[in-house]
Amino acid sequence: MKNSMQRRMLAVTALSAVAIIGLAGCGISPGPSADATSPTTDAPVTLNLGWWGSDPRAKATEAAVGAFEKKYPNITVETSYSDWAGYWDRLATQTAGGDAPDVSQMDMTYLSSYASRGILADLGPVKNILDTSTIPKTVLDSGRVDGKLYAAPIGAAANGVVINTSLLDKYGIEIPDTNTWTWDDFNKIALEVTEKSKGAAHGVTPYQNDPFGLQIYARQHGEELWDARGKVTVSPKLVKEYFQTELDWVASGAAPSASQVSDNGGATITERDIATGKTAIFFTAAGAFNGLQAAAPDYKYIIGNWPTDSHTKPGFQYLKPTMYWAISAATEHPSEAALLVNFLINDRRVAKLFGTERGAPASPSLQKVIEPTLTPEGVQALDFSKLMTKEAGPAPAITPNGASGVSAILSRYNDQVLFGQTSPASAAKGFIDELQASIDAAG
Amino acid sequence: MSALGELRSLTQRRDSTNRKGKRPRTADNKVAAVFLAPWLIGLLGITVGPMVVSLYLAFTNYNLLQNPTFTGLANIQRMLSDERLAKSLGVTFTYVLVSVPLQLIVALAVAVLLDRGLRGLPLYRSIFYLPSLLGASVAIAVLWRLVFGADGLLNAFLANFGIEGPAWVSNPSTALGTIILLHVWTFGSPMVIFLAGLRQIPREFYEATSVDGASKWRQFTSITLPLLTPIIFFNLVLGIIGSFQSFTQAFIISGGGGGPADSTLFFSLYLYQEGFANFRMGYASALAWLLLLIIGAFTALNFWASKYWVFYDD
Repeated sequence: MKNSMQRRMLAVTALSAVAIIGLAGCGISPGPSADATSPTTDAPVTLNLGWWGSDPRAKATEAAVGAFEKKYPNITVETSYSDWAGYWDRLATQTAGGDAPDVSQMDMTYLSSYASRGILADLGPVKNILDTSTIPKTVLDSGRVDGKLYAAPIGAAANGVVINTSLLDKYGIEIPDTNTWTWDDFNKIALEVTEKSKGAAHGVTPYQNDPFGLQIYARQHGEELWDARGKVTVSPKLVKEYFQTELDWVASGAAPSASQVSDNGGATITERDIATGKTAIFFTAAGAFNGLQAAAPDYKYIIGNWPTDSHTKPGFQYLKPTMYWAISAATEHPSEAALLVNFLINDRRVAKLFGTERGAPASPSLQKVIEPTLTPEGVQALDFSKLMTKEAGPAPAITPNGASGVSAILSRYNDQVLFGQTSPASAAKGFIDELQASIDAAG
Repeated sequence: MSALGELRSLTQRRDSTNRKGKRPRTADNKVAAVFLAPWLIGLLGITVGPMVVSLYLAFTNYNLLQNPTFTGLANIQRMLSDERLAKSLGVTFTYVLVSVPLQLIVALAVAVLLDRGLRGLPLYRSIFYLPSLLGASVAIAVLWRLVFGADGLLNAFLANFGIEGPAWVSNPSTALGTIILLHVWTFGSPMVIFLAGLRQIPREFYEATSVDGASKWRQFTSITLPLLTPIIFFNLVLGIIGSFQSFTQAFIISGGGGGPADSTLFFSLYLYQEGFANFRMGYASALAWLLLLIIGAFTALNFWASKYWVFYDD
């Protein structure tokens, strides 16, 4: 029994719904639009800068931004930062909404995903403003996707083994020479920590979910995780051994219980077992060394090379960019954005402010500049990176498009193996299949 | 009258308003439209509009960074062979089917206890209600994770008795249990509604049956429960709809990853991961509509079953 009033209400509702859909539909297209070669002017310009990191990094970055604004008074930089976990959801959503920062900190995990989809600006056209000549070629190449440079590496670091020397001293264990130690030495020391502390501490926190660690492990056996065309090239046998090593460590007591290990995977740096003195050995990128020492001032740490054995292939180490600066392809001020990035990676004041907080600077001349200002841990991290530069082999392919979930996928299979839900062999196959499927499905 | 009958009678127009007075109805309608407008715009713009767009996106491949591309039923095919989806459905169903009845039982039990006319009832009521105000918040979830962690408060307490508790939130077999416990802990709001319902039961029933020699338990099962069934039904429907959509607790307690070995991979958490972390917003939209269908099915089931056990005394 509809009268005209009801019919009118229905019509209004339907029309509004259509209008809303039309408006909402318009909002889905972020399309890149900027012309990357427009010259800088003296007109006031506002740039947005986004990064992830902890408070010390925020303070240093704000100070660097202040110096930039003094040098270029017409440019104002609005900053925003978050922690690692929320950063990527936020960046994806901001990009979808057409709101991405002009300059964002970028990681290798997502570089290809963003660059292949046209979200990042090609840095070639602004190379007269953004000077990347001071960065070593192998490190700079890790910012290239399909030959074009999409992100400028800020710093580079090798993956090392961190040892809590205070713990080792406490239980009377000899500190190894990390330049010559073997996997046998490693296992012996890890077990000793557990035994001599009677379980109060354990030897090692296993690799878990860091693809960097898996890549080094693969390279020690002459393989690589993936190639430049997006094929997962690591063998199921190798991944199985990788998982099996973890299981062996847990079983022998060198590593803590499965749930303690699993818990570490998602923990912040201050909560990790290596920082709380629950384990003595940890695998991590050298860029995190500073943060670790700052989080655990009561302990002393050293960082050294991975152990080897007679089968280890040489040149397994490489310098991986810790993070990059990337310019949004949708930015309205590409030249000013390039100015900002150039300032951040080349200016000496900035280098001194950042120190090794974002990893050792990629440029050797800047490394020399900051050396006198570093804390002892900073000097250690820097020396380690320099040592590894001598040993490093060619850098592997960067994370392919579609593989940005590799850490989560590895973590999941790792957990399944740790808790005995799957065998290492089927977890290895599952990991490789799922990773490849994810790469293949990405568009 | 059944629940459906109640709904029907509420939505039927009552024709009695125009008998007296010659007030023109169009003036009233204009005023009503003006007051309704803000809410209507919000409803269409923030709720209905995005829902329709999401329905469109469910049939596309949308990675958030580029325009969506239409892919027809590909997302549905993916759903059918997705193992993680099956796991997350299992986790979510377990959560809903265990925590909702458990919470209602605790709420009813406490309501019955409080209904005895305790001194300081308002104080107790407030204390028991407080967790449900905070329960869905991030802060409480963080706190929960700390309390049930390997070095948490609970294990410290158990250590006093020489019991070495496991890491409750890091173990796949106990992680979901901690989230269920969190939900049961927020029993305050169903409890307050039960209290109101208990107050409405006439005292004469209890007096009459005491005279006949009925025990307290018999009174509970034959008087209290049947007369409370409409309220139990209400709490059950709302509880099921709400707990299917749980996100915050699982996100915080598992650290965003769905818990040790996907044991706390709630449906909404899986949806979030697919949409925002894995650049598969099209698939996430399809999952969102699947959730709507599941909740709709459960609600319809509830309404249908209600005619067998809910007693409306009119």
